[in-house]
Amino acid sequence: MKKFFGLLLMAGVFLTTVAHAGDAIVVGTSADYPPYEYTDAAGDFVGFDMDLIRAIGEKIGKKVKIVDMGFDTLIAGLQNGKIDVVIAAMQASDERKKMVDFSNVYHEIKDAILVKADSDIEINSIHDISQYKVASQTGTIQEKWIQENLVKKGKLAAKDYFSYERVDNAAMDIKAGRVDVLHIIADPALSLAEKNNLKIALITTEAVSAGQSLAVTKGNTELLTLINRAIEELKAEGILQELMDKYKLL
Amino acid sequence: MDSFSTMVQFLLPGLGITLLVTLIALFMGCLIGVFMAVLRVYGNTFARTVATSYSIVVRAIPVVVIIFILYFVISEFIDLSAFMAGAVALGFASGAYQTEIFRGAILSVPQGQMTAARGIGMGRGKAIRCIIMPQALRIAIPSLINEVSLVLKDSSLVFVIGVPELLRRAQYASASTMKPLLAFGTAALFYILLTLVLSKFLEAVEQRFSLSS
Repeated sequence: MKKFFGLLLMAGVFLTTVAHAGDAIVVGTSADYPPYEYTDAAGDFVGFDMDLIRAIGEKIGKKVKIVDMGFDTLIAGLQNGKIDVVIAAMQASDERKKMVDFSNVYHEIKDAILVKADSDIEINSIHDISQYKVASQTGTIQEKWIQENLVKKGKLAAKDYFSYERVDNAAMDIKAGRVDVLHIIADPALSLAEKNNLKIALITTEAVSAGQSLAVTKGNTELLTLINRAIEELKAEGILQELMDKYKLL
Repeated sequence: MDSFSTMVQFLLPGLGITLLVTLIALFMGCLIGVFMAVLRVYGNTFARTVATSYSIVVRAIPVVVIIFILYFVISEFIDLSAFMAGAVALGFASGAYQTEIFRGAILSVPQGQMTAARGIGMGRGKAIRCIIMPQALRIAIPSLINEVSLVLKDSSLVFVIGVPELLRRAQYASASTMKPLLAFGTAALFYILLTLVLSKFLEAVEQRFSLSS
């Protein structure tokens, strides 16, 4: 019995990710956000961000080791040195900037408003959504915009705002009619709409215009400089655009 | 059916991790539980206070908080992988519940057993080890089966620190196939299977050690 559990423990130790192995950079992501980061059936990390970080790794001559964490724990992971870099469709908000350092923007984002495919809701301006039950993803800039510009200003009742941990759950509730409109970042909107029988009512930069950046531990300027240089090179060589086309980013 | 086999492909690697985390946690919890229960019942005032505080404090803290503390705070000092931090945190939490299980079991062994053991010249330690514990462990097994299924489900919490266990795999599957019902349904099926296997195993142990009447 003791031997059996000894073996178990050994297996456990070997199975686990060994962080900081030599010249590799450990990259944290939250792999439930297609088309940026998700996994295939074999459990390999795929998506726009994943391809990009591998390309960056090649440019700066370091191996890339990707680890998946909950989105909310990524920044804590950087601060504790569990990971070196975060690439998770993350935007450089002021709050986050206090805790970690961000790279140059590698991808500009737009917003999308999704409704049920057979819905007759018409959205011409982002402010139109305040008449409906609104859904968004917890902790995103979209949610923050809704809170500050609609809920706090009394245009949208707090009970009519629904905050989802995951976008696919939100899409399901739109489909089921529990909420009316979903305000999310535009890139995943296409595939989300296709698979859940939703349609895109509006694509806009009216509310949130921001870009996605990589994050590193505060003060790690050495790595940040390398990453920024790599991003600019990838942009100049057109590789970034190729990746965007590959994943149908808008 | 095709998409079900895709789901199984997604989830299968998580099954082993979930099982491993659960087994390590249960084993560790069992060691802590037996030790703390003995302290709570037979220890001096100091030992009793330590064991009681452990049991109360740990049961009061949500398991996910224990996992965070262990991974982000304690592993500043000890190099602990996410997997081990998760398993150890679960074991630490389960230990508190198992303390209560074993305490109840020890208390339900009739007082006379101890008196009799001391009467034939056994020391207190030997009496606990050879007379009380064998009987108490047998009494504890049915409650342990319950604890197994609780730890199994709590093991899903380790994904917050990046251990890709069964539930996290289901989230991957849900995100990349956009079929959340199928993904989480398949995960539920796997959890049921695991629970069945583990409790059948303990039931067999219970049978093996039951007094033939």
